[in-house]
Amino acid sequence: MIGWSGRRKALIILLFLGPTLVGILLFNVFPILLSSYTSLTNRNKFHPNPDCNLVVTSVLDPVCWPIFRANATKGLAEPYRTQTPLLKNYIDVLGQLFTREALLAFLLIFICFIPLIVAGYLERYYDRQMTRRVSSTTIWASALVVALALAYALNVREAYQTLTNTGDFFIVVFRTVIFVVLRVSLSFSLGLTLALILNSPYLPGRTFFRLILFVPWATSSLAILMALVWQFFFREQGVINQVLNFFGIHGMAWLNNPTSAFAIVVLADTWFSYPFFMIVILGALQSVPVDVYEAAEMDGARWWTQLTQITLPLVRPAILPATVLTSITAFQMFGTAYAITEGGPVQSAGKPGATDFVIVYAFKQIFNSQNYGRATAFAVILFIFLFAATLYALRLTRITKGAYE
Amino acid sequence: MNRKPTQSVLILQYAILILASLFAFYPVWFTILASGRLGDRLYTLNLAGMFVPTEWTFENYRVMLFEKPLLTWIKNSLYVASVTTVASLLISTSAAFALSRFRFYGRELLLIFLLAIQTFPGVLALVAVAQILTALGLYKTHEGLILAYTIGTLVFSTWNMKGYFDTIPIDLEEAAMIDGCGPVDSFIRIAIPLALPALAVTALFGFMAGWGDFIFASVLIPAPDSAKLAVPGLYSLATDMSVPWGYFAAGGIIVVLPTLLVFLALQRFLVSGLTIGGVKG
Repeated sequence: MIGWSGRRKALIILLFLGPTLVGILLFNVFPILLSSYTSLTNRNKFHPNPDCNLVVTSVLDPVCWPIFRANATKGLAEPYRTQTPLLKNYIDVLGQLFTREALLAFLLIFICFIPLIVAGYLERYYDRQMTRRVSSTTIWASALVVALALAYALNVREAYQTLTNTGDFFIVVFRTVIFVVLRVSLSFSLGLTLALILNSPYLPGRTFFRLILFVPWATSSLAILMALVWQFFFREQGVINQVLNFFGIHGMAWLNNPTSAFAIVVLADTWFSYPFFMIVILGALQSVPVDVYEAAEMDGARWWTQLTQITLPLVRPAILPATVLTSITAFQMFGTAYAITEGGPVQSAGKPGATDFVIVYAFKQIFNSQNYGRATAFAVILFIFLFAATLYALRLTRITKGAYE
Repeated sequence: MNRKPTQSVLILQYAILILASLFAFYPVWFTILASGRLGDRLYTLNLAGMFVPTEWTFENYRVMLFEKPLLTWIKNSLYVASVTTVASLLISTSAAFALSRFRFYGRELLLIFLLAIQTFPGVLALVAVAQILTALGLYKTHEGLILAYTIGTLVFSTWNMKGYFDTIPIDLEEAAMIDGCGPVDSFIRIAIPLALPALAVTALFGFMAGWGDFIFASVLIPAPDSAKLAVPGLYSLATDMSVPWGYFAAGGIIVVLPTLLVFLALQRFLVSGLTIGGVKG
């Protein structure tokens, strides 16, 4: 494209990409390699130091690199070794997730989702037809009814109980997924509603509202402090309970109840994240041409039809990548939950608390119990999952294509 | 959708906006109120005190500015954040230039790889990052922190800039090249000025990465007090026994005010810089 070719071009590209590549290799790729290796060892607070005589260790652990050995901390404790069997940490983390009962429980839960998947395919099939014989509401409603009936018939509650008894991994990941779904859909719908309203040109004072509504994102540099403020609202002597007291209602200890603590974290994180959606959707809305609506108006399309048939499909390409990427970051949410509940409330000792989302859980494993081996095994499993999710999302959204490809 | 709304629709819209504004602004308003109150009195508030300023004093601000090391922390943060901003701008612009203006083998793979590698949770890579920094002798120094932050922002910034550059027609640069400019020269003279919104967003993200982070800053610079950054420094004022809400809130407002102003000033840029660049369909 640009008037260079051959070796000169390669050199220039390398020159411009070089710093990025070196940085990514050192601070992104290397930690992944080191963590993968650590996840195979028994590194913990009793075995913190490397044994530089082992080949793999001496290559991967920075402390062992010859040029850096001068700065290394030397300890007297036993060095860490690889586990026997090699995947012991993974087995510990996954617990009994792959026993027969657990797999059966998974299968039962999956069966309940089949009607919804079928409905999705039916929906897409009908979308391609010129005329619809069945409305989309009917399809989804009947699928939901069948799914619920199946769930009742197959006793999903019991299957869920079986899975929660398999160890920390399932319950932690499950709660995180619920959190992501709630938080992304909440902040998406709030952001969409506000963006639609703010996009209307017949609204005096919309600049003012835009500034105010934007404030939570601008305070993101103080996320940890704002999270503490949210925590204060829901303390026993906090704002909510005092207001309730004023009306003669005796409030509860919100943060000690698993359900309400979970809801509070969702609410606080929604507060932090909806402005991003608002901004992205607002930007996308500005590129929607007005004449499409005029045409729809001529055809007698109502507000709701215009929204679902014109606005949403047209802004979809801009919003989808943002949504997918936000979901991935929501999955890795750490600060809010850690500041508000520290992962609690814990119902029984040794079990993860109601807001112990994956990263909070792993962070506590590393920094509170210095259980590097297990925590990195956890991280690697998560990484494989998120890596796959990202690749799938990229395929879905095709954002790697440039504007002119 | 662009019809003039009827009276009832207008009322509904305003109702939603006002409710949302209360939701958005109340936590911040609460912090402002707390900053004007003495000591730990957040616990003994009366109901009215939670919504309107019943008492007001600048004592907390005075203590934070002149008796606590807040100004030192802010100076440290300013140093780290501004160097991060400049470094992140330079490195990601040059990478985005290569990725946007050249077609080469493995380009798309590299883009995907950058994004996918990012999904390794940063908090969990922290131990390894700390180890590398220790090995390099940069642990507990601001420079090490700057290195970690800059590289942390690279993926987002590169992607965003590359997306924005893609929307700038290359014809303009080719015209300049016909007039005798080199490719790099014409890129700097033509594409960079056109990409100002994306540059603003990248700069803002670089700055926020350094200014607002808590976890990296508190793990990579645990001590001494004089080397701390603003956010972990503020947080360190809280002990297990008590949280000095007044100091906390006053310090928080002092820390957040500059970024708030920058954010509000850049919000027009943000709309175009984010949507045109990073999230192109």
